[in-house]
Amino acid sequence: MMDGGHIAQEDLALFAMHSCSEEESAAVRSHVKECAACRSELEKVSGDLAVVAMSVELHPLPEGARQRFIERISAAPVAMERGTQAPVISIRKEQTARRPLAWIPWAAAAALAFVAVSLAVEINSLNHRLQSESNQLAELAAANAHAQEVLEVLTAPAAQRVVLTAGKAAPAPSARAVYLPARGALIFQASNMGPLPENKAYELWVIPANGKAPIPAGLFWPDATGSASLVLPPLPVGVEAKAFGVTIERAEGSATPTSPIVLAGAAPTS
Amino acid sequence: MAPAGDARLLDRVRAGDQQAMTDIFDRYGRMVYSVALRVLEDPGHAEDVMQEVLFKVWREPHTFLEGRGSLGAWLAVMARNRAIDALRRRRPTETVDDVVLVSKTNLASEIEQSSMIEKVRGVLKGLPLEQQTSMELAYFEGLSHSEIAARTGDPLGTVKTRIRAALISLRKALEA
Repeated sequence: MMDGGHIAQEDLALFAMHSCSEEESAAVRSHVKECAACRSELEKVSGDLAVVAMSVELHPLPEGARQRFIERISAAPVAMERGTQAPVISIRKEQTARRPLAWIPWAAAAALAFVAVSLAVEINSLNHRLQSESNQLAELAAANAHAQEVLEVLTAPAAQRVVLTAGKAAPAPSARAVYLPARGALIFQASNMGPLPENKAYELWVIPANGKAPIPAGLFWPDATGSASLVLPPLPVGVEAKAFGVTIERAEGSATPTSPIVLAGAAPTS
Repeated sequence: MAPAGDARLLDRVRAGDQQAMTDIFDRYGRMVYSVALRVLEDPGHAEDVMQEVLFKVWREPHTFLEGRGSLGAWLAVMARNRAIDALRRRRPTETVDDVVLVSKTNLASEIEQSSMIEKVRGVLKGLPLEQQTSMELAYFEGLSHSEIAARTGDPLGTVKTRIRAALISLRKALEA
Protein backbone atom coordinates (compact mmCIF):
# COMPACT_ATOMS: atom_id res chain seq x y z
CA MET A 1 0.00 0.00 0.00
CA MET A 2 2.83 2.40 0.85
CA ASP A 3 4.82 3.85 -2.01
CA GLY A 4 7.96 5.73 -1.00
CA GLY A 5 6.59 6.68 2.41
CA HIS A 6 3.24 7.71 0.95
CA ILE A 7 0.08 5.86 0.09
CA ALA A 8 -0.25 4.92 -3.57
CA GLN A 9 -2.83 6.89 -5.52
CA GLU A 10 -4.87 3.82 -6.41
CA ASP A 11 -5.07 2.84 -2.74
CA LEU A 12 -6.28 6.33 -1.87
CA ALA A 13 -8.90 5.91 -4.58
CA LEU A 14 -9.99 2.56 -3.19
CA PHE A 15 -10.19 4.15 0.27
CA ALA A 16 -12.31 6.99 -1.11
CA MET A 17 -14.57 4.40 -2.75
CA HIS A 18 -14.92 2.51 0.58
CA SER A 19 -13.39 -0.49 -1.17
CA CYS A 20 -10.64 -1.13 1.40
CA SER A 21 -10.81 -3.63 4.21
CA GLU A 22 -11.25 -2.28 7.74
CA GLU A 23 -7.55 -2.71 8.43
CA GLU A 24 -6.53 -0.94 5.22
CA SER A 25 -8.99 1.88 5.87
CA ALA A 26 -7.67 2.33 9.38
CA ALA A 27 -4.11 2.48 8.04
CA VAL A 28 -5.06 5.09 5.41
CA ARG A 29 -6.98 7.17 7.95
CA SER A 30 -4.09 7.11 10.36
CA HIS A 31 -1.52 8.02 7.72
CA VAL A 32 -3.59 10.76 6.12
CA LYS A 33 -4.11 12.40 9.47
CA GLU A 34 -0.37 12.93 9.74
CA CYS A 35 0.65 13.33 6.08
CA ALA A 36 -0.36 16.54 4.35
CA ALA A 37 0.76 15.28 0.93
CA CYS A 38 -1.41 12.18 1.09
CA ARG A 39 -4.31 14.15 2.50
CA SER A 40 -4.06 16.57 -0.38
CA GLU A 41 -3.89 13.71 -2.88
CA LEU A 42 -6.88 12.04 -1.21
CA GLU A 43 -8.85 15.26 -1.61
CA LYS A 44 -7.93 15.37 -5.30
CA VAL A 45 -8.83 11.72 -5.84
CA SER A 46 -12.12 12.19 -4.00
CA GLY A 47 -12.87 15.17 -6.19
CA ASP A 48 -12.03 13.21 -9.34
CA LEU A 49 -14.29 10.37 -8.26
CA ALA A 50 -17.12 12.76 -7.40
CA VAL A 51 -16.98 13.96 -10.98
CA VAL A 52 -17.26 10.35 -12.14
CA ALA A 53 -20.46 10.05 -10.09
CA MET A 54 -21.80 13.31 -11.49
CA SER A 55 -21.10 12.24 -15.04
CA VAL A 56 -23.62 9.39 -15.06
CA GLU A 57 -26.29 9.50 -17.70
CA LEU A 58 -29.29 11.41 -16.36
CA HIS A 59 -32.66 9.69 -16.09
CA PRO A 60 -36.04 11.27 -15.41
CA LEU A 61 -37.35 10.94 -11.88
CA PRO A 62 -40.06 8.34 -11.24
CA GLU A 63 -43.56 9.74 -11.44
CA GLY A 64 -44.65 11.29 -8.17
CA ALA A 65 -41.14 11.28 -6.66
CA ARG A 66 -41.12 15.05 -6.25
CA GLN A 67 -44.52 15.10 -4.55
CA ARG A 68 -43.51 12.26 -2.25
CA PHE A 69 -40.45 14.22 -1.22
CA ILE A 70 -42.42 17.38 -0.58
CA GLU A 71 -44.92 15.46 1.55
CA ARG A 72 -42.06 13.91 3.46
CA ILE A 73 -40.37 17.18 4.33
CA SER A 74 -43.74 18.73 5.16
CA ALA A 75 -44.23 16.00 7.74
CA ALA A 76 -40.78 16.32 9.28
CA PRO A 77 -39.21 19.51 10.51
CA VAL A 78 -35.55 20.32 10.04
CA ALA A 79 -33.62 18.69 12.86
CA MET A 80 -32.95 21.91 14.70
CA GLU A 81 -34.83 24.07 17.04
CA ARG A 82 -36.00 26.99 15.05
CA GLY A 83 -36.70 28.82 18.27
CA THR A 84 -33.03 28.84 19.10
CA GLN A 85 -32.11 30.82 16.06
CA ALA A 86 -31.10 34.31 16.79
CA PRO A 87 -33.91 36.57 15.77
CA VAL A 88 -33.11 38.56 12.72
CA ILE A 89 -33.57 42.12 13.72
CA SER A 90 -34.35 44.40 10.88
CA ILE A 91 -32.41 47.53 11.19
CA ARG A 92 -33.45 48.85 7.85
CA LYS A 93 -34.67 52.32 8.32
CA GLU A 94 -38.23 53.11 7.57
CA GLN A 95 -38.37 54.74 4.21
CA THR A 96 -40.09 58.00 4.42
CA ALA A 97 -41.09 60.16 1.58
CA ARG A 98 -38.76 62.99 1.07
CA ARG A 99 -40.19 66.33 0.62
CA PRO A 100 -38.38 68.97 -1.25
CA LEU A 101 -37.09 71.31 1.35
CA ALA A 102 -35.46 73.91 -0.73
CA TRP A 103 -35.27 76.34 2.08
CA ILE A 104 -32.73 74.26 4.07
CA PRO A 105 -29.31 75.80 3.79
CA TRP A 106 -26.71 73.89 1.76
CA ALA A 107 -24.59 73.39 4.80
CA ALA A 108 -27.34 71.57 6.65
CA ALA A 109 -27.97 69.38 3.62
CA ALA A 110 -24.32 68.41 3.46
CA ALA A 111 -24.31 67.57 7.16
CA LEU A 112 -27.39 65.39 6.79
CA ALA A 113 -25.85 63.60 3.84
CA PHE A 114 -22.70 62.88 5.88
CA VAL A 115 -24.76 61.52 8.76
CA ALA A 116 -26.80 59.37 6.36
CA VAL A 117 -23.69 57.86 4.80
CA SER A 118 -22.20 57.16 8.22
CA LEU A 119 -25.40 55.49 9.32
CA ALA A 120 -25.53 53.41 6.17
CA VAL A 121 -21.99 52.15 6.75
CA GLU A 122 -22.80 51.33 10.36
CA ILE A 123 -26.03 49.59 9.41
CA ASN A 124 -24.20 47.51 6.86
CA SER A 125 -21.59 46.51 9.41
CA LEU A 126 -24.24 45.61 11.97
CA ASN A 127 -26.09 43.56 9.38
CA HIS A 128 -22.96 41.55 8.66
CA ARG A 129 -22.32 40.94 12.34
CA LEU A 130 -25.90 39.89 12.94
CA GLN A 131 -25.82 37.52 9.98
CA SER A 132 -22.55 35.97 11.12
CA GLU A 133 -23.77 35.48 14.68
CA SER A 134 -27.07 34.14 13.45
CA ASN A 135 -25.26 31.58 11.27
CA GLN A 136 -23.07 30.48 14.17
CA LEU A 137 -26.09 30.00 16.41
CA ALA A 138 -27.88 28.01 13.71
CA GLU A 139 -24.88 25.72 13.26
CA LEU A 140 -24.57 25.11 16.98
CA ALA A 141 -28.28 24.40 17.28
CA ALA A 142 -28.18 22.01 14.36
CA ALA A 143 -25.18 20.15 15.77
CA ASN A 144 -26.99 19.56 19.04
CA ALA A 145 -30.43 18.90 17.61
CA HIS A 146 -30.01 15.21 16.92
CA ALA A 147 -28.81 14.38 20.42
CA GLN A 148 -31.49 16.59 21.90
CA GLU A 149 -34.18 14.83 19.89
CA VAL A 150 -32.96 11.44 21.09
CA LEU A 151 -33.15 12.66 24.68
CA GLU A 152 -36.59 14.13 24.19
CA VAL A 153 -37.92 10.90 22.74
CA LEU A 154 -36.39 8.81 25.50
CA THR A 155 -37.78 11.01 28.25
CA ALA A 156 -41.12 12.06 26.75
CA PRO A 157 -44.03 11.05 29.00
CA ALA A 158 -46.13 10.40 25.90
CA ALA A 159 -43.61 7.97 24.39
CA GLN A 160 -44.78 4.38 24.06
CA ARG A 161 -42.31 1.97 25.61
CA VAL A 162 -42.55 -1.52 24.30
CA VAL A 163 -40.60 -4.67 25.08
CA LEU A 164 -40.43 -7.05 22.15
CA THR A 165 -39.75 -10.69 22.89
CA ALA A 166 -39.57 -13.90 20.94
CA GLY A 167 -42.92 -15.51 20.26
CA LYS A 168 -41.94 -18.71 21.96
CA ALA A 169 -40.10 -19.45 25.15
CA ALA A 170 -36.64 -18.79 23.77
CA PRO A 171 -35.32 -16.18 26.15
CA ALA A 172 -32.46 -14.80 24.17
CA PRO A 173 -33.59 -12.33 21.50
CA SER A 174 -35.37 -9.24 22.75
CA ALA A 175 -35.79 -5.62 21.80
CA ARG A 176 -37.15 -2.39 23.11
CA ALA A 177 -38.86 0.31 21.11
CA VAL A 178 -39.50 3.84 22.28
CA TYR A 179 -41.95 5.52 19.95
CA LEU A 180 -43.37 9.03 19.91
CA PRO A 181 -46.17 9.05 17.31
CA ALA A 182 -46.66 12.80 17.35
CA ARG A 183 -43.12 13.25 16.05
CA GLY A 184 -42.78 10.07 14.05
CA ALA A 185 -39.76 9.36 16.23
CA LEU A 186 -38.63 5.86 17.08
CA ILE A 187 -35.64 4.48 18.96
CA PHE A 188 -35.17 0.75 18.81
CA GLN A 189 -32.60 -1.42 20.54
CA ALA A 190 -32.32 -5.16 20.07
CA SER A 191 -30.12 -7.66 21.83
CA ASN A 192 -29.27 -11.33 21.59
CA MET A 193 -30.39 -11.39 17.98
CA GLY A 194 -29.37 -14.48 16.07
CA PRO A 195 -27.04 -14.25 13.07
CA LEU A 196 -28.69 -13.72 9.72
CA PRO A 197 -28.50 -15.92 6.66
CA GLU A 198 -26.55 -14.55 3.72
CA ASN A 199 -28.34 -11.72 1.89
CA LYS A 200 -30.89 -11.24 4.67
CA ALA A 201 -31.63 -8.43 7.09
CA TYR A 202 -33.87 -7.88 10.05
CA GLU A 203 -36.60 -5.38 9.30
CA LEU A 204 -38.60 -3.49 11.91
CA TRP A 205 -42.27 -2.73 11.28
CA VAL A 206 -44.68 -0.30 12.86
CA ILE A 207 -48.18 -1.82 12.88
CA PRO A 208 -50.59 1.16 12.73
CA ALA A 209 -53.51 1.21 15.12
CA ASN A 210 -55.81 2.30 12.31
CA GLY A 211 -55.52 -1.08 10.62
CA LYS A 212 -53.47 0.13 7.68
CA ALA A 213 -50.53 -1.81 6.27
CA PRO A 214 -47.37 -2.20 8.39
CA ILE A 215 -44.89 0.61 7.91
CA PRO A 216 -41.23 -0.38 7.38
CA ALA A 217 -39.13 1.31 10.05
CA GLY A 218 -35.65 0.27 8.99
CA LEU A 219 -33.27 -2.59 8.38
CA PHE A 220 -30.69 -3.73 10.86
CA TRP A 221 -27.94 -6.26 11.16
CA PRO A 222 -26.85 -7.38 14.64
CA ASP A 223 -23.19 -7.12 15.55
CA ALA A 224 -21.10 -10.01 16.83
CA THR A 225 -22.80 -9.80 20.23
CA GLY A 226 -26.27 -9.84 18.69
CA SER A 227 -26.96 -6.18 19.43
CA ALA A 228 -28.43 -3.69 17.00
CA SER A 229 -30.25 -0.40 17.07
CA LEU A 230 -32.27 1.97 14.92
CA VAL A 231 -32.29 5.61 15.91
CA LEU A 232 -34.87 7.97 14.47
CA PRO A 233 -35.54 6.16 11.19
CA PRO A 234 -37.66 8.15 8.73
CA LEU A 235 -41.31 7.59 9.64
CA PRO A 236 -44.54 9.43 8.95
CA VAL A 237 -45.73 11.70 11.70
CA GLY A 238 -48.89 11.09 13.71
CA VAL A 239 -49.29 7.33 13.17
CA GLU A 240 -50.45 5.67 16.38
CA ALA A 241 -48.94 2.21 16.71
CA LYS A 242 -50.82 -0.88 17.69
CA ALA A 243 -47.71 -3.01 17.77
CA PHE A 244 -44.19 -3.44 16.52
CA GLY A 245 -42.73 -6.42 14.77
CA VAL A 246 -39.45 -7.66 13.40
CA THR A 247 -39.13 -9.99 10.44
CA ILE A 248 -36.27 -11.36 8.40
CA GLU A 249 -36.34 -9.93 4.91
CA ARG A 250 -34.16 -9.56 1.87
CA ALA A 251 -31.08 -7.46 2.62
CA GLU A 252 -32.44 -4.57 0.59
CA GLY A 253 -35.67 -4.64 2.59
CA SER A 254 -39.29 -5.30 1.68
CA ALA A 255 -42.30 -3.08 1.23
CA THR A 256 -44.42 -5.53 3.23
CA PRO A 257 -43.41 -8.17 5.75
CA THR A 258 -42.86 -11.49 4.03
CA SER A 259 -41.50 -13.83 6.64
CA PRO A 260 -42.84 -14.98 10.02
CA ILE A 261 -42.51 -12.43 12.77
CA VAL A 262 -39.33 -12.96 14.76
CA LEU A 263 -40.09 -10.44 17.50
CA ALA A 264 -43.33 -8.68 18.30
CA GLY A 265 -44.66 -6.36 20.93
CA ALA A 266 -47.98 -4.63 21.42
CA ALA A 267 -48.00 -0.93 22.16
CA PRO A 268 -49.75 0.02 25.41
CA THR A 269 -53.15 1.54 24.83
CA SER A 270 -53.39 5.11 25.98
CA MET B 1 -16.85 27.98 -3.80
CA ALA B 2 -20.28 26.39 -3.96
CA PRO B 3 -22.36 26.87 -7.09
CA ALA B 4 -24.23 30.13 -7.10
CA GLY B 5 -27.27 29.94 -4.92
CA ASP B 6 -26.51 26.68 -3.08
CA ALA B 7 -25.12 28.39 0.00
CA ARG B 8 -28.12 30.68 0.21
CA LEU B 9 -30.51 27.76 -0.29
CA LEU B 10 -28.80 25.81 2.48
CA ASP B 11 -29.05 28.80 4.82
CA ARG B 12 -32.78 28.87 4.16
CA VAL B 13 -33.06 25.10 4.65
CA ARG B 14 -31.33 25.48 8.02
CA ALA B 15 -34.06 27.94 8.90
CA GLY B 16 -36.71 25.38 7.92
CA ASP B 17 -37.68 26.84 4.54
CA GLN B 18 -39.41 24.03 2.63
CA GLN B 19 -39.38 25.93 -0.64
CA ALA B 20 -35.59 26.15 -0.46
CA MET B 21 -35.41 22.39 0.08
CA THR B 22 -37.72 21.87 -2.87
CA ASP B 23 -35.43 24.06 -4.97
CA ILE B 24 -32.47 21.87 -3.98
CA PHE B 25 -34.53 18.80 -4.91
CA ASP B 26 -35.34 20.31 -8.29
CA ARG B 27 -31.69 21.18 -8.84
CA TYR B 28 -30.09 17.89 -7.81
CA GLY B 29 -32.82 15.26 -7.41
CA ARG B 30 -32.48 13.92 -10.93
CA MET B 31 -28.71 13.61 -10.66
CA VAL B 32 -28.89 11.91 -7.25
CA TYR B 33 -31.51 9.51 -8.56
CA SER B 34 -29.46 8.78 -11.68
CA VAL B 35 -26.34 7.99 -9.64
CA ALA B 36 -28.31 5.59 -7.45
CA LEU B 37 -29.98 4.05 -10.50
CA ARG B 38 -26.59 3.57 -12.15
CA VAL B 39 -25.48 1.49 -9.16
CA LEU B 40 -28.68 -0.31 -8.23
CA GLU B 41 -30.34 -0.66 -11.66
CA ASP B 42 -33.70 -0.66 -9.90
CA PRO B 43 -35.91 2.45 -10.09
CA GLY B 44 -37.67 1.73 -6.78
CA HIS B 45 -34.50 1.22 -4.80
CA ALA B 46 -32.85 4.15 -6.56
CA GLU B 47 -35.70 6.42 -5.52
CA ASP B 48 -35.38 5.18 -1.94
CA VAL B 49 -31.73 6.21 -1.97
CA MET B 50 -32.52 9.53 -3.61
CA GLN B 51 -35.23 10.30 -1.05
CA GLU B 52 -32.93 9.28 1.80
CA VAL B 53 -29.99 11.38 0.62
CA LEU B 54 -32.04 14.52 0.01
CA PHE B 55 -34.09 14.03 3.17
CA LYS B 56 -30.81 14.00 5.07
CA VAL B 57 -30.10 17.47 3.71
CA TRP B 58 -33.47 18.59 5.05
CA ARG B 59 -33.10 16.96 8.45
CA GLU B 60 -29.39 17.56 8.93
CA PRO B 61 -28.31 20.44 6.68
CA HIS B 62 -25.26 21.02 8.86
CA THR B 63 -23.73 17.72 7.69
CA PHE B 64 -22.76 19.37 4.41
CA LEU B 65 -19.64 21.29 5.23
CA GLU B 66 -19.19 24.27 3.00
CA GLY B 67 -15.64 24.71 1.86
CA ARG B 68 -15.21 21.02 1.11
CA GLY B 69 -16.57 21.22 -2.38
CA SER B 70 -19.85 21.71 -4.13
CA LEU B 71 -23.21 20.56 -2.81
CA GLY B 72 -23.79 18.70 -6.08
CA ALA B 73 -20.57 16.72 -5.74
CA TRP B 74 -21.33 15.95 -2.11
CA LEU B 75 -24.80 14.70 -2.99
CA ALA B 76 -23.46 12.62 -5.87
CA VAL B 77 -20.93 10.91 -3.61
CA MET B 78 -23.52 10.41 -0.87
CA ALA B 79 -25.86 8.82 -3.41
CA ARG B 80 -23.12 6.56 -4.74
CA ASN B 81 -22.05 5.47 -1.26
CA ARG B 82 -25.61 4.85 -0.06
CA ALA B 83 -26.41 2.91 -3.21
CA ILE B 84 -23.28 0.80 -2.86
CA ASP B 85 -24.17 0.10 0.77
CA ALA B 86 -27.58 -1.06 -0.37
CA LEU B 87 -26.08 -3.09 -3.19
CA ARG B 88 -23.48 -4.67 -0.97
CA ARG B 89 -26.03 -5.05 1.82
CA ARG B 90 -23.90 -3.13 4.20
CA ARG B 91 -24.88 -0.80 6.91
CA PRO B 92 -24.41 2.85 5.99
CA THR B 93 -20.71 3.40 6.33
CA GLU B 94 -19.92 6.97 5.63
CA THR B 95 -18.59 9.33 8.16
CA VAL B 96 -18.20 13.01 7.47
CA ASP B 97 -14.49 12.55 6.84
CA ASP B 98 -14.92 9.57 4.56
CA VAL B 99 -17.80 10.79 2.47
CA VAL B 100 -16.09 13.40 0.47
CA LEU B 101 -12.88 15.30 0.66
CA VAL B 102 -13.56 17.21 -2.46
CA SER B 103 -10.74 19.13 -3.99
CA LYS B 104 -11.71 22.71 -4.55
CA THR B 105 -9.48 22.91 -7.57
CA ASN B 106 -11.50 20.68 -9.83
CA LEU B 107 -14.91 20.87 -8.26
CA ALA B 108 -15.45 24.54 -7.92
CA SER B 109 -17.66 26.38 -10.34
CA GLU B 110 -16.37 24.36 -13.27
CA ILE B 111 -18.22 21.25 -12.25
CA GLU B 112 -21.45 23.04 -12.84
CA GLN B 113 -20.58 23.39 -16.46
CA SER B 114 -21.93 20.65 -18.61
CA SER B 115 -18.76 20.79 -20.69
CA MET B 116 -16.77 19.45 -17.73
CA ILE B 117 -19.13 16.54 -17.28
CA GLU B 118 -19.12 15.87 -20.99
CA LYS B 119 -15.34 15.87 -20.91
CA VAL B 120 -15.31 13.28 -18.12
CA ARG B 121 -17.81 11.11 -19.95
CA GLY B 122 -15.56 11.25 -22.99
CA VAL B 123 -12.50 10.29 -20.99
CA LEU B 124 -14.25 7.35 -19.35
CA LYS B 125 -15.58 6.09 -22.67
CA GLY B 126 -12.14 6.47 -24.23
CA LEU B 127 -10.35 4.38 -21.61
CA PRO B 128 -9.08 0.95 -22.64
CA LEU B 129 -11.76 -1.64 -21.95
CA GLU B 130 -9.82 -3.24 -19.09
CA GLN B 131 -9.45 0.11 -17.33
CA GLN B 132 -13.14 0.87 -17.88
CA THR B 133 -14.07 -2.47 -16.36
CA SER B 134 -11.84 -2.03 -13.33
CA MET B 135 -13.22 1.47 -12.63
CA GLU B 136 -16.74 0.26 -13.26
CA LEU B 137 -16.44 -2.62 -10.83
CA ALA B 138 -14.74 -0.49 -8.20
CA TYR B 139 -16.87 2.63 -8.41
CA PHE B 140 -20.30 1.49 -9.50
CA GLU B 141 -20.30 -1.99 -7.99
CA GLY B 142 -18.22 -1.21 -4.92
CA LEU B 143 -15.87 -4.17 -5.31
CA SER B 144 -12.49 -4.21 -3.59
CA HIS B 145 -9.37 -4.70 -5.70
CA SER B 146 -9.14 -8.34 -4.59
CA GLU B 147 -12.78 -8.90 -5.53
CA ILE B 148 -12.16 -7.29 -8.91
CA ALA B 149 -9.15 -9.56 -9.40
CA ALA B 150 -11.27 -12.58 -8.55
CA ARG B 151 -14.04 -11.42 -10.88
CA THR B 152 -11.81 -10.68 -13.88
CA GLY B 153 -9.16 -13.32 -13.27
CA ASP B 154 -6.42 -10.69 -13.40
CA PRO B 155 -3.57 -10.41 -10.90
CA LEU B 156 -4.13 -7.97 -8.05
CA GLY B 157 -1.29 -5.74 -9.18
CA THR B 158 -2.77 -5.49 -12.65
CA VAL B 159 -6.09 -4.37 -11.26
CA LYS B 160 -4.40 -1.64 -9.24
CA THR B 161 -2.34 -0.54 -12.21
CA ARG B 162 -5.49 -0.21 -14.32
CA ILE B 163 -7.26 1.84 -11.69
CA ARG B 164 -4.20 4.05 -11.37
CA ALA B 165 -4.00 4.54 -15.14
CA ALA B 166 -7.69 5.40 -15.31
CA LEU B 167 -7.32 7.94 -12.51
CA ILE B 168 -4.34 9.53 -14.23
CA SER B 169 -6.32 9.90 -17.46
CA LEU B 170 -9.21 11.40 -15.54
CA ARG B 171 -6.96 13.83 -13.65
CA LYS B 172 -5.30 14.96 -16.86
CA ALA B 173 -8.67 15.70 -18.40
CA LEU B 174 -9.89 17.59 -15.35
CA GLU B 175 -6.75 19.67 -15.11
CA ALA B 176 -6.53 20.37 -18.82
